[in-house]
Amino acid sequence: MRKQVVKLLAALAAVMSIAACSEKLEAGKSCPLLCPIQSDSLRDTTIDAIAVDTSVTGLPPIGLETYLMLASHGDTLDSRAMIRFDTIPQSYSKAAFDSVITTIDTALLVTPIAKPDSLHLPKAPVTIEVYDVDTVGTDTSAAILTSLFRPDRLIGSKTFAPDSLVRDTLFIPINADTVLDRVKNGTRLRVGMRMRSNPGYDLRIGTTQIGLPVTLHIVASKDTAAVPVDVSPLSDTPADEPFLSGPLADFTIVASGQTSVSPTLLSVGGVPSRRTFIHFDVPSRFVDSTTIVRASLLLTQTPNRRIDQHDSVYLYPLAILASPVVTDIPNALQFLSITGQYGLDSLLISPADSGVKEFQVAGLMRTWKGQTLEVSPRSIAITSAVEGSRPVQFDFFSTRAPVGLRPRLRITYVPQTSYGVP
Amino acid sequence: MTSRTHFRLALVASAALLAAPALGAQSNLSTQGFGYSTGQFSSRAQGTDGAVAEMDPLSPVNPATISVLSSRILFFQLEPEYRSVTTAGGTDRTTTARYPNVFGAMPIAPNFVVGFGASTLLDRTATTIFNTTQLLSSGDSVPMSTTFRVDGAMDDLRLAAGWAPTKWLRLGLGAHEIVGHNLIALTESFADTETYKPFTQTRVLGFNGPALSGGLQLVSKWVSAAASMRQGGVLHMDASDTVLSAARVPNRYGGSIAFTGLPNSFFAVRTSHDDWSAMNGLGSNQVVGVDSWDTSVGADVAGPQIGEHIVSLRAGFRDRTLPFEAAGQKVKETSFSGGLGTGFAGGRVLADAALIHANRSAPTVGATEHAWTISIGISVQP
Repeated sequence: MRKQVVKLLAALAAVMSIAACSEKLEAGKSCPLLCPIQSDSLRDTTIDAIAVDTSVTGLPPIGLETYLMLASHGDTLDSRAMIRFDTIPQSYSKAAFDSVITTIDTALLVTPIAKPDSLHLPKAPVTIEVYDVDTVGTDTSAAILTSLFRPDRLIGSKTFAPDSLVRDTLFIPINADTVLDRVKNGTRLRVGMRMRSNPGYDLRIGTTQIGLPVTLHIVASKDTAAVPVDVSPLSDTPADEPFLSGPLADFTIVASGQTSVSPTLLSVGGVPSRRTFIHFDVPSRFVDSTTIVRASLLLTQTPNRRIDQHDSVYLYPLAILASPVVTDIPNALQFLSITGQYGLDSLLISPADSGVKEFQVAGLMRTWKGQTLEVSPRSIAITSAVEGSRPVQFDFFSTRAPVGLRPRLRITYVPQTSYGVP
Repeated sequence: MTSRTHFRLALVASAALLAAPALGAQSNLSTQGFGYSTGQFSSRAQGTDGAVAEMDPLSPVNPATISVLSSRILFFQLEPEYRSVTTAGGTDRTTTARYPNVFGAMPIAPNFVVGFGASTLLDRTATTIFNTTQLLSSGDSVPMSTTFRVDGAMDDLRLAAGWAPTKWLRLGLGAHEIVGHNLIALTESFADTETYKPFTQTRVLGFNGPALSGGLQLVSKWVSAAASMRQGGVLHMDASDTVLSAARVPNRYGGSIAFTGLPNSFFAVRTSHDDWSAMNGLGSNQVVGVDSWDTSVGADVAGPQIGEHIVSLRAGFRDRTLPFEAAGQKVKETSFSGGLGTGFAGGRVLADAALIHANRSAPTVGATEHAWTISIGISVQP
């Protein structure tokens, strides 16, 4: 009996080994002769599917820039960096004991920067001046703040050779007496940075938004046992409104060189920074009844040669996540998907480029299928990777432009077919 | 070993076999239309290339034959096919693992047996991969790779009753339901992955339609004869609860005669006619069913005795036309087979194996297909 069982098991093992053997897939050589199906033909069409398009200036809002734009381009652009130290410690630590600050040996602004590459070094030395810009006036008004950049408020200055900027942190000394005065009186220190450069140059300075703010470094004693005091930016105004005061710890103002938006153009980046809003009205016969394999937003770029015209910068199409309940476009433009979400791919272009540019939005359009506008808003924003921190601006023709230049949407799709039926 | 142990062993083996992967690929001659007709033959019948199918109780062809079963029985069958298709473009080789027949029966009265089973009527399992360049209206073109995978079959569920009123006469009736699904997966991907997004569409096609069958078998010492037929009802194809089309389950009739003058031996000839054209309209206009004859001759003879086991030796030849045209041409299949079978555990476990070599061709289509099929069937009397 045992022999019979062994034989039976051996037979079963043989059967199973045959059944489980894997095969190399070598198909298609008989196509198209015998293929049970040929691929569905792709169709494509270009439609005027832009229902609303506009550019909104002032985004990101003041204080929410990822980098402060310190720019000096003569009459073309002059922007300043503002940093607030509204709370400064009055003591320092020495040998495990706190001591009241009575003197200050050194005061520095430790300034993180986006290290420029060799192609973006200044052609000549640049000077960064630091001013005391504390005021009782409207403390975010560019006009008022700009007026405070005067000689009697100059508290520090340092000139940097071009090669010396190839680093990620600059150290700018400021007047120790001014700082000591604020420490002793328990008052705030608000500084403004200005760059002087000829030819023009711009520098990106870290912010609290990315965790790399300018800090105030105070050495209160020459004693090596004394621990220096490092003060991070903080804004106490507007009072009792931390949602607003928080971002104002550091921000950029534009002293001169603001540009306006042409109604026939959609602008991205620039000074002040702007984002473009585009709302689609795509027929449901495409969204709901086909499979979209490519959706290209076609924007015709017109050159902007104002500043850094040949610098290549990534532009991002981002999904707007705010539901249609948010009808205010500037507000909607602040509720954006993260970069790359929904398969939205960036585009690397320079301001001086021209012609049709394609933003691929198929990944986002697929999420619209079978969804209401409330669930899946059919709007996107186009933003610059360096918005608010570099002056480069990109201009595209809007729906108010002549017909041949207007934004369009090219859709490549697979129509709904009876695939699978032999 | 007890009968219960045999039964458990068979169940475990069946479960293991069902878990084996079903692989399939290629565009070919045999799975055109709604698929390849495996013939609904048991492994024993496959050994004779179908010649004894009308008289074989394990082949769900003639319901009269199950009346010969004297005890409860479970049967399971496995049939991997190794196939090559040659065209001017080259040769594709692939494997399709099929499980074409599972069957159980039990006597409920003297000379009266009922059985229930499922068999593959048309197997469409295949995967095809091919590359094309899509031309777009804007003047663009994009290289595209398409993977078209079909898993599934049209199956024949049969509830049958067989009655042997006399020693020389067996009668049977069968109620059939043609069921099954084709799971379609269409995947298209692109060389330009930045601009074009790949996608997969899936779809399930379902089939259902009734049929009735009847048969008889006349038995004598020297000659045995059998005939059967199937009358098909309306066959529907649906997707997502929507009926897409309707046609009819193909009618079939066939007969067989065998010389049984030698002990435990059959020398048989069989022919059968299937009205596959009844399925026209179920698919697209390009799917053309062909009414066809399926004829085979074969022998199942008692061979050598090895130990306590008598080994049956089988051989056969078959000629038929496959159910659906390929590229507008009828597809002919000729095959040769050989097989053997024996019993274990006092005859409670029967094992049959067959090897079939088939050549398939269509007159003016520049393609030929060759296939080796191994058929293994195990029946257990618990």
